[in-house]
Amino acid sequence: MKEPRALVEHFFRHEFGRLVAVLTRSLGVRRLDLVEDVVQTALVQALETWSRRGIPEDPGGWLYRTARNLAIDAWRREQTHAKALPHLAEEAERETPPPEAHFADEIGDEPLRLLFVSCHEAVPAESRVAFALRTLCGFSTAEIARGLLTTEVNVQKRIERARDRLRDLDVDFEAPAAPQLRARLDGVLSVIYLLFSQGCHATHADVPIRRDLCDEARRLARMLAGHPVGDVPAVHALLALMCFHAARFDARLTLDGGIVLFEQQDRSTWKWSDVREGMAWLARSAAGDELTRYHVEAGIAWEHCRAPTFADTDWHRIAEGYDALDRIAPSPIHALNRAVAEAYLHGPQAGLDRLAAVVPENVPARYPGWHAVKGELHFRLGQHSAAERAWQEALRWTSASTDQEFLRRRLADCRRVESLDSPVSLDP
Amino acid sequence: MPKFLFIFRHSTAPQSRPSPEEMQVLAGQWYAWMQKFSASILPGGDGLKPSGRLLKGGIVSDGPYVEAKEFVASFTLIQADNYDAAVAIARECPGDNVIEIRELGGYA
Repeated sequence: MKEPRALVEHFFRHEFGRLVAVLTRSLGVRRLDLVEDVVQTALVQALETWSRRGIPEDPGGWLYRTARNLAIDAWRREQTHAKALPHLAEEAERETPPPEAHFADEIGDEPLRLLFVSCHEAVPAESRVAFALRTLCGFSTAEIARGLLTTEVNVQKRIERARDRLRDLDVDFEAPAAPQLRARLDGVLSVIYLLFSQGCHATHADVPIRRDLCDEARRLARMLAGHPVGDVPAVHALLALMCFHAARFDARLTLDGGIVLFEQQDRSTWKWSDVREGMAWLARSAAGDELTRYHVEAGIAWEHCRAPTFADTDWHRIAEGYDALDRIAPSPIHALNRAVAEAYLHGPQAGLDRLAAVVPENVPARYPGWHAVKGELHFRLGQHSAAERAWQEALRWTSASTDQEFLRRRLADCRRVESLDSPVSLDP
Repeated sequence: MPKFLFIFRHSTAPQSRPSPEEMQVLAGQWYAWMQKFSASILPGGDGLKPSGRLLKGGIVSDGPYVEAKEFVASFTLIQADNYDAAVAIARECPGDNVIEIRELGGYA
């Protein structure tokens, strides 16, 4: 037997997304169920065949031909039924011409088209993300549920809602035309942004899909930047932002998956190739006079990467960044981050004052980060019982095990210091 | 050396299908399996397309066979000293398989 060949990383998942997009273009968005079924069957057949014979020279081409033939078979079967049943025949009249005609042109930018289709205004935002992860990234319902910290039933519902809406609308895959594409670009960017932030928000060492979410977001954004419609400053800024965050992923975790605070991160473990890529995107994002939230966030992320040591961090620039961000896209989370910058600039009390200035109805009481920061500032002021209360509250709203462990560690610190009753450093 | 036919069967239940990412893991494990037993695996094994024809009592029907709980997904030929050795190779197949192991009648 010949020496077997190995597959590139995520081959099956990425091929799933590519093939679903290509076949959807031929068979129409209304046939998405059929398309996904056909592609899944082709993948199973590939795994079975390649496990017996080894991997062919062009595995992507093999899969494409197999899926295409399965799709043609399925389409013909439907046609047979359509002839037998008049009401189905009526429906068939509205169908696209036989798939063979379409398959003449080879794989192009279909995944991007499908991404724009799925960001149709009629599809709810949360459905868009789940739909993109399923259809374009090839994740299973269970994997998406783990990634988005929700239930499988929930994910299934979101995907079905997206499919139903697209089917009802009978969305045309060839459209939208260029002006519509530009209008929908905002929606596409927010899906990619959400995908990325879901991936890096909570760091679960036990859930590898989270890093994958970030990788997928970057893959989709790079794809977007490679197309005339997406080759615009906002996309470049989003890419810069994601690269700067990705550079610090490894530094954010200890070997056993615990969380490391920015202050204590080992800068030598930052991925400088990501920083460099981010800088290149940041430079390109400066073209034109548009300032998006992605520009501002990329600037903030860059300030975090730029300083050679923690002490060199330019908190003035970061504070300005959060002020600007809050003007463009107001959110209590920006106020929270602004308060952290304030604490580094003028001490913990100044940070607490900023938090206290947020109007009560805007306080994100269920957001653990809010309480975690509050606890940290109180702790640094030596107000241990206040710190303890805040951290307890944070723990109440935290579901990620690593975050819980981090908070428990801080609570233990709190009690230890309290029992020693030692003087505490007040430096910011 | 005796030859054995391994017949791999799959469940038709859709929930038993692995996700693409799980397939990637399986493909890697199969790769290792093929390398480990390359001396025992004979050429000629293959995967099977999902649908086919069934000739029964002179009547031809089309697959897929909806009533079946399992279908034959692939087969491979193995050479091994005896059943024990063949079963030992089958045991190391990755994933959750149903494998029928049959010795070929005509070995010399």
